[in-house]
Amino acid sequence: MKSFFWENLRIALSELWAHKTRTILTGTGIVIGIIAVSLMSTLINGVDGLFENSMKFLGRGNLYVEKWPWFGDEDWWTLRNRPRIELEMADEILERSEYALVVATERGRSANLSYNELSAENIFIHGVTANYPEVSTVDVEFGRFFTGSEDRTGTQVILLGSEVAKTLFPLENPLDKLIFAGSKRFRVIGVLSEMGKFMGAFSQDTQVLIPMETFNKIFHGPWGMRRITVKVPEDHVEDAKEELRGVVRVLRGLKPGEKDNFAVNQQDSFRQTYQGIKMAIGGTGLIITALSLLVGGIGIANIMFVSVKERTREIGVRKAMGATRSQIQGQFLIEAILITATGGLVGLIVSTAVSLAISKFLFPASMSFGIAFMAIGLSVGVGLFAGLAPARKGAKLDPIEALRYE
Amino acid sequence: MPLIQVKDLYKIYQMGNVEVRALDGVSVDIESNEYISIMGPSGSGKSTLMNLIGCLDTPTSGDFFMDGVNVATMTDDELAHIRNKQIGFVFQTFNLLPKSTSLRNVELPLIYNGSIKASERKGMAISALERVGLGDRTHHKPNELSGGQRQRVAVARALVNDPAIILADEPTGNLDSKTGEEIMALFDDLHQQGNTIILVTHEEHIAAHANRVVRLLDGKISEDVLTHRAK
Ligand SMILES: Nc1ncnc2c1ncn2[C@@H]1O[C@H](COP(=O)(O)OP(=O)(O)OP(=O)(O)O)[C@@H](O)[C@H]1O
Ligand SMILES: [Mg+2]
Repeated sequence: MKSFFWENLRIALSELWAHKTRTILTGTGIVIGIIAVSLMSTLINGVDGLFENSMKFLGRGNLYVEKWPWFGDEDWWTLRNRPRIELEMADEILERSEYALVVATERGRSANLSYNELSAENIFIHGVTANYPEVSTVDVEFGRFFTGSEDRTGTQVILLGSEVAKTLFPLENPLDKLIFAGSKRFRVIGVLSEMGKFMGAFSQDTQVLIPMETFNKIFHGPWGMRRITVKVPEDHVEDAKEELRGVVRVLRGLKPGEKDNFAVNQQDSFRQTYQGIKMAIGGTGLIITALSLLVGGIGIANIMFVSVKERTREIGVRKAMGATRSQIQGQFLIEAILITATGGLVGLIVSTAVSLAISKFLFPASMSFGIAFMAIGLSVGVGLFAGLAPARKGAKLDPIEALRYE
Repeated sequence: MPLIQVKDLYKIYQMGNVEVRALDGVSVDIESNEYISIMGPSGSGKSTLMNLIGCLDTPTSGDFFMDGVNVATMTDDELAHIRNKQIGFVFQTFNLLPKSTSLRNVELPLIYNGSIKASERKGMAISALERVGLGDRTHHKPNELSGGQRQRVAVARALVNDPAIILADEPTGNLDSKTGEEIMALFDDLHQQGNTIILVTHEEHIAAHANRVVRLLDGKISEDVLTHRAK
């Protein structure tokens, strides 16, 4: 049995070689299908990694009390008219909530920074409480974070994101230098580690951190971001969210039946939206793949029927020399599989190259062994499926009829 | 028990409303190690009979036994097995694979034999080609050979698997008398070794190699005689 496999492989190879153009044209559908499926999976894997990486900034067990919900379809005007978040609620929340471990507050707005002749425009000034490191993954590369007393007294100290530090201090050590944020002078006490981008857009590295009280002292007015960040145990996020809603409703004096006039945001809502997007991408990819493999498979079945017809006399000769049905069937099946497997391999090579390029220039996306395995399996499957009917037709030919065929 | 037993065999082709009786009630018993010539005018049904004996065709009616087994009851795989192991067929129209070399053509029955190693096949095919005087034409394709050479490739292919029964449909039709005699010497030899040989011919001197001559006329046996060779 084994020797027929090699014999059939040999026949198939010489047959495909004899019809090179035909083989290439037939295999193209499979190439496209395999590129679609493997690239799609690779991209999804890559985007997944990217997403998880971004999610690290938010922290799984964090709840954010804000004016605006991150997702949702509530009426814009209603949201717009909500009262702004009173950061003063933070202490009450810590006191009343069973789940709250840490409660931090954040404000933010943009301003221009300068140091001597160098300037950095539209930098996000992030006012945070001294416990901010406990609710975020912010990491001081060198220097130090500010202390609670520096916050309470509104000291003008500042920590720079890594990009900001590079812009303002390309050559010098930024520690203890005085820089301007708007019209106020700040002393640099630390530089943050490089963190990369959040969801590929907002970079944590282009922000600066200052103490909350300092922010309050300098920037008046209702503008800018403000939120209360509540750290809760990761395995009780949902319960904690309900409790937090209740606490804030009480603090806001909302009556039962009245709608919330604030939002409690969490990482999971990103996750859900992301899952939706991912499903959409994956679904589209799946449809493209299925269609191109189907069309490719039909093309191969068609060409195999032609091949069986053209080689009717050959089949007759082989049968007269003692070839069994399964041997003839195997011969044509191997031929079909050879086309699709080669197509699959070419597709895999192309998508590996493309994913390498993506990793180099866009984001990390690597072809996994599992994807390669699936792609080859899929293409062999299509060959088997497409080749079966023609191969059976050839195998069933009557020897003498086949020999007489002109 | 005869090796081959043909009982009241009919092969009828319906061409529109014309009925062609290629075989019209043929009965014949062939013993092992017989050497038979089938003769008869063109269109008398010789090739039709050969195809049936070679397990390539199925009769319209009648029975055909091989070693006592009714061929009609055999499965496809059993028939393939018999065609491969028991029978060496030389076709009137050669039926070589046009894109393959002589060597590959002669190797064909060995490939489907299943019990011959790939490494041995080539040597066996070459020696079969040498026996028909084509040791120097192993890498020629059929269209690079003369008619007689093609015929000899077909003979080599029929011999290579060492089958018990050789069915040769005009194996010397395209050969000059000297080469023809050489091929016949080969058949005589195989007969000496105990093989059963059935050949179709139009030439009396070829037929004279056999020890029995069966004559067909319009699909019927008109004469079945032992020749002087038969003891
Ligand atoms: N497939 C077919 N369809 C219809 N008629 C056929 C078919 N095959 C053979 N015949 C007819 O059967 C008859 C016998 O044909 P066969 O080939 O057996 O003759 P033959 O004795 O071998 O002749 P020759 O000496 O010319 O080779 C012929 O009349 C032929 O026309
Ligand atoms: Mg004939």
